[in-house]
Amino acid sequence: MNTSELLTHFRTHGTPLTLSRRGELTWDDADLHREAWEADPEGYALLALVPGVREWQRARVLLRVLASSQAHLAEPARAVLATATRALLFGLAPSTAITALLAVRRLRANHKHTTRAMVAFALEHPDGDALVAARRPALVDCLEHALGKATARACARLIAEGDTGSPYLRSRLLRFTRDPETAMRRVRALYGPGVHGAPAPQEPPVALDPPRENPQVVTVTNRGDIAATLVHLYRGGSESELRPALARYVAEATRGLPRLAAHVALVLDTSASMRGYGEREWALISQAEALRLVLAEVCERLTVIETGGPAAAPAGATDLATGLLDALAAGPDLVAIVTDGYENTLPGDLARVVASLPGAGVTTPVVLCQAAFARSDDLTFRTPARNLPRASFWHQDDFAELLPWLFGHCAAGRDWIRRTVLDRLSGRVTALEGGRA
Amino acid sequence: MTELATLMPAPVDLAGYRLGPPQQAGALTMVPVYGPEHEGFVPPRTGLKLNRVVSYGTVELQNGAAEGVVIVPLHIGYIQHAAQNHALCSAALIAAGQTRQFETACCVQQTQGGLLQGRDQWFFVLPLELRREALELRDVRDFAKLWSAIARLNAAYGLPGRGHLEQILTRKRPILNQFRNRLEPLPGQVGALFFIGEAFAGMEIAPSSRYFADLWMPLVCFAYGVAAWQAEPEPAPALPYRAGNLAELRAELERDRAARMERVASWLAEPAVGGEWSVAEEERYLDLRLSTVTGDGIAGQVVTRDGRPVYASLFSTRWER
Repeated sequence: MNTSELLTHFRTHGTPLTLSRRGELTWDDADLHREAWEADPEGYALLALVPGVREWQRARVLLRVLASSQAHLAEPARAVLATATRALLFGLAPSTAITALLAVRRLRANHKHTTRAMVAFALEHPDGDALVAARRPALVDCLEHALGKATARACARLIAEGDTGSPYLRSRLLRFTRDPETAMRRVRALYGPGVHGAPAPQEPPVALDPPRENPQVVTVTNRGDIAATLVHLYRGGSESELRPALARYVAEATRGLPRLAAHVALVLDTSASMRGYGEREWALISQAEALRLVLAEVCERLTVIETGGPAAAPAGATDLATGLLDALAAGPDLVAIVTDGYENTLPGDLARVVASLPGAGVTTPVVLCQAAFARSDDLTFRTPARNLPRASFWHQDDFAELLPWLFGHCAAGRDWIRRTVLDRLSGRVTALEGGRA
Repeated sequence: MTELATLMPAPVDLAGYRLGPPQQAGALTMVPVYGPEHEGFVPPRTGLKLNRVVSYGTVELQNGAAEGVVIVPLHIGYIQHAAQNHALCSAALIAAGQTRQFETACCVQQTQGGLLQGRDQWFFVLPLELRREALELRDVRDFAKLWSAIARLNAAYGLPGRGHLEQILTRKRPILNQFRNRLEPLPGQVGALFFIGEAFAGMEIAPSSRYFADLWMPLVCFAYGVAAWQAEPEPAPALPYRAGNLAELRAELERDRAARMERVASWLAEPAVGGEWSVAEEERYLDLRLSTVTGDGIAGQVVTRDGRPVYASLFSTRWER
């Protein structure tokens, strides 16, 4: 399974992992996860941290990583996995993470990295005090699985007796923790009398996905700074004021993003419907143009094929099929069709051309990025080719999900995703060191 | 693409009008019409204003522009919250600064109280299924004259059989509105031919591309969009072309498109009209003549200047429900 297929699965398959009362694990896509892990352990783990991946998929990845041996991996790979594991442990809702950890226990998997992860979760969780009070039996199970029941209980007894650093305690417990003092306090609580009815923390202490704006009422100018500035430009606003701001917003949106070592062709629908009308006028074309500006910064080479009028004055009909053929003629590594999905010259042509590509010897990946006004847009009549991978976007914040999904379809995307996630993780782990991000 | 006059045997001289490449959205095919830009006409959204509804069935319209004639589009209607919606059964000519009362308007909402005010205006054009009856009753003073036809239409579309057109126009507006984007007006376009399935539905010609742009939404969403919504087909399967490389694929696409355009042209070649035409002048303003046109299977109104059309709204009369 390639990166795009795996990421699509991660983004769309949200069935929970379940453990029955007798501890039996239900994991419907276990084979897929095992194969993905075996093919590329690092890439597999890092893909789970791409924005937009479903929480239960992240839990599955955590389970697979913790349940699998890392003995065959080199030290740099193990370090990446340790970083990803820690992000997942504290980036999942606590109840989800506990399910994954109890599933590890059920699978009787115990490796060094498993022990570290379980101890870290039980004793270093940023919401650990509340978690210990609310989920004491589950956390005791995790700790005893990690350390061994007798060892865990011996450590608890020593701590209860006032031991703060005996060789036994250090070698069996404290060496797995970064904060011995907190760890000992939590072990005391875990083996203490407990608190009846304590509420469990629901939210992950650190969000894995970047924060996003969710305006109650969507307007053409609250869908991200780049699009908002473009809207003002299209309305005839001051070039001297708006152009520098636009450049600044694009630079901010792409700062720190690695370059994609690929040639991307963008078929940009600039037909009349992309302009829109009334209160939504300029909404779609501004966000599509924002994506173009971001891609121009990130992609090593970007070829743009406009179908319709110029972006600043969208007009005319939508001929996506010819646009796609023009794009393919440029010999790109990836074609992205950015459209609102209204194809009228002639409807069905894009789907037929896409269906014809294998026979024509074309293997270039083609995807459809659907511009929408808001998340709730009705896309019933806006699916020009059901045989194309499709992702929609309406806000600049969506680019954090859209770019990995888009780039994952070409060979260079795997490395881009890896570098991007690692860059983000380095910031996130730093935040975790200090407690709550 | 194609001269309209050779394809559309209308009782008016359509020489000089040309057809562009067709667009399709579901069952609705729109063939753009290009032609002369006539000066001296005010687009309806700019110049035409609903002043008030004087009483049920009597509507007062005003041409608020300083100069230029407004051609009131055939079967124009107004919707307003908490007021009884009205439509006109005939087109009209209103000179700059003029205010006119139309006593033969019809209510399209059976039980709603209240009269339309001049604010919050957007207009529609009566759905194709009602247009023949509306045109036939254009001289009848009875604000309830379309209620039974509206009730039949609603019932045919699975809605409560009442004389409430807003059951379709406003409650189904999210679906109908999409035709505004599913089809796209082209720069310089002054009119369009509409087909539903493979059957001729209507021909609309405006005095200018600006005027036609104002008519675009009411025509595609309401006049023809309602019937198209009911005839929405399942998406066709994406059958691949037989092409061994990109160049062959492009050629196949172009060949297929040409074949489909010829097919659309063949719908025109099978005359939507036949037999005798009757043309009856309704009103005139200077050298403008507004006439009602009736043929076999087609009806509507045209505005001509020196025998040449500047406005036409001709529709198939075979779409009743």
